[in-house]
Amino acid sequence: MSDKGEVDLTGAKQNTGVWLVKVPKYLSQQWTKATGRGEVGKLRICKNQGKAEVVSFTLNEELTTVDTIGEKSSMVRAPREHPFTLQTVGGQTLAVFTENSSDKIALEGLVVQRAECRPAVSENYMKLKKLQIEELSKPMRFSQQLDKAVTTNYKPVANHAYNLDYERKKKEEGKRARADKQQVLDMLFSAFEKHQYYNIKDLVDITKQPVIYLKEILRDIGIYNVKGTHKNTWELKPEYRHYQNEEKSD
Amino acid sequence: MTSLGSSSSSTTEYVVRVPKNTNKKYNLMAFNAGDKVSCSTWTQARMERDMSNRRIYGEEETPDGAAGSEFGKKQREEARRKKYGIITKEFKVEDQPWILKVNGKAGRRFKGLKKGGVTENASYYIFTQCADGAFEAFPVHAWYNFTPQAKHRTLTAEEAEEEWGRRNKVVNHFSIMLQRRLRGQERGEDEEEEGEKGGKKKKKKEGRGGDLRIHDLEDDLDMSSDESDGSNGDDDEAKSKAKKEKGPKGKGKKKKKKASDLEGFEDSDDGDFEGLEVDYMSDESSSEEEQLEKTKPNKGEDVPKGIDEMSDSEEESEEENKNEEDGKEEEEEEDGKKTPVQVEKKKKKDSSGESDSSEDSDIEGEAASALFMKKRTPPKRGGGRGSAGSSRTGSRPGTPSIDNAATSNTLRAAANKLEQGKRQTTVPSSETPAAKRLKMEPSPQSSSGKSTPQPVSGKSTPSSSDVLLTEDAVRRYLIRKPMTTKDLLKKFQTKRTGLSSEQTVNVLAQILKRLNPERKNINDKMHFYLTE
Repeated sequence: MSDKGEVDLTGAKQNTGVWLVKVPKYLSQQWTKATGRGEVGKLRICKNQGKAEVVSFTLNEELTTVDTIGEKSSMVRAPREHPFTLQTVGGQTLAVFTENSSDKIALEGLVVQRAECRPAVSENYMKLKKLQIEELSKPMRFSQQLDKAVTTNYKPVANHAYNLDYERKKKEEGKRARADKQQVLDMLFSAFEKHQYYNIKDLVDITKQPVIYLKEILRDIGIYNVKGTHKNTWELKPEYRHYQNEEKSD
Repeated sequence: MTSLGSSSSSTTEYVVRVPKNTNKKYNLMAFNAGDKVSCSTWTQARMERDMSNRRIYGEEETPDGAAGSEFGKKQREEARRKKYGIITKEFKVEDQPWILKVNGKAGRRFKGLKKGGVTENASYYIFTQCADGAFEAFPVHAWYNFTPQAKHRTLTAEEAEEEWGRRNKVVNHFSIMLQRRLRGQERGEDEEEEGEKGGKKKKKKEGRGGDLRIHDLEDDLDMSSDESDGSNGDDDEAKSKAKKEKGPKGKGKKKKKKASDLEGFEDSDDGDFEGLEVDYMSDESSSEEEQLEKTKPNKGEDVPKGIDEMSDSEEESEEENKNEEDGKEEEEEEDGKKTPVQVEKKKKKDSSGESDSSEDSDIEGEAASALFMKKRTPPKRGGGRGSAGSSRTGSRPGTPSIDNAATSNTLRAAANKLEQGKRQTTVPSSETPAAKRLKMEPSPQSSSGKSTPQPVSGKSTPSSSDVLLTEDAVRRYLIRKPMTTKDLLKKFQTKRTGLSSEQTVNVLAQILKRLNPERKNINDKMHFYLTE
């Protein structure tokens, strides 16, 4: 589709300026909890002679509650005041582009100002940080003592069920009998029709013949690959092969 | 939005919203400031994911079923991977780089690689101001660093290694890429197009000086000795000079595939290139010397072939004229082996200018016979001439000869000789040409070896032009043994008789008419002889 790759350049043409703000993790977490229209707080910009000098963000009251695991949530609150540290865009030209759910790409604008959102240092903040550190410092794995020994996994058994089945299968199958050479050849050829290389074990499985007998037959019609990618495999001799048409000839 | 006024500064408050359900994912596109990317100048842009890495993850697929496949291969491979704990990474489309094409085919191309670790510890938000003055913050999903992609040809790793090894010798870096391009052309073209290429290279040389011909070198010498703007066709002669010196560096030579083969093989002989302007003495001369050396053997191969052709193509009607020319040309060819001679001839050629070219065109018109000629000499000789050369190149296809290129080259060589003869009224004026003539004479004799067994060296007294084209002289020769007209012409060289080629031809024709010698066909060649 020619549309797919096209980039909508309206943002670039309008030269829309945006701000790129680095926001702490906890703050972004709080923001995700916003309700309604998504209002999260207020941004106060103090301009001195036109240039934005002091910028500060105030978090809304209702978003200051921190969800923590374990500790009582009321104890710790997220700080409200966050001054912004303004930085230059300098050595990079930053543009913002968006990707639709339908894979449509649009250029939204250029970054004119970079800022870092820092929390105003307060008692609240320190407590919050302490909590965070505690959580993070917990190891991923830990040892736990069990009250009772685990007895559900396996018990000693005279003979395992699997083993019994195996022996039964073996008995019923019996030793493999040598079938007619021609029949075996037919089986082999039809097998080699499907794949070119076979392991001897797989062939034994397919033909249900004793190994020695099978090997003799194979020595007649096939070759054993010792080296190469298909090592230790049997394949038909070239004169028996006919792979282009996916047939084999005798 | 509330505004608080204050004396010197104004503070405004804006509401910040974080929209919940946007279907748009915001990403950052970072360009280096040095690339001077201005998004406002983009008229159209296309951006797609670069899927070229997909096959790495796809892995080699062995044929499924029938030929080439193994029974249970997949299961075995899987079991093996589990055993060794090999985990292959999935191919994630999200992580693939972007390819951005700006302003269509002729515009710039960028590749955008995803920057890792952006969203791990902190989140980036894009604050946009809405119409109602409120700010909307969108989280940045990913950060891509875009770098411009080079459209110009670059050297491959092997070539870069080569060039690195030669970095001290190479002064003209512009020619590196040119040579590479030419090399590519060569490999793709046939042998027979070499002539065209020669022509092309001629013109190119005028512009770039990256090609590699002996005549380049000669032109250098010419330029250093006489000022000829025609031979160069360049406005900036100094530049072309410098380039020509680089030219002989051995990069564009047709027969040589790799430039690196040429350099650093031979020591330079003293005094070979004294007149040359060189930037780096030792290296320059050595490479040039190599070149010449290499041309010499090349020429050498062609000579025997040429002589045969020459003999074959003789015809009686135009014999005299042709023979004279042939003789000259043959000598010229032998001459060709010795570069200094060629150099000198070139000197003469170039300085002669129009008169030379007219003479040459005459000779060309006359000579219908195929004279042996190396294919390379035409471009070489012509290269020194600029417009004259190109005009001759044009006329060359017109001459109905078996080997056009060969003919004109020999003719030109002949013309040179004639000019030389004309210019030097007294033969001993320059020892070197005479000395070279000396060298020349035995060699044609030895190489032709057909009709003139006796060494001419006995007769080749370098300082006197005492051989006059008389009936007696001719008779003497013909009595002694049967000779072809070519051989006769050889006896009466223009340098020594003081006659022009035309005159010699005419006089000889008259003499032969008067003598009316017997004719005999030896080796399919018409020989004259007298029995008295």
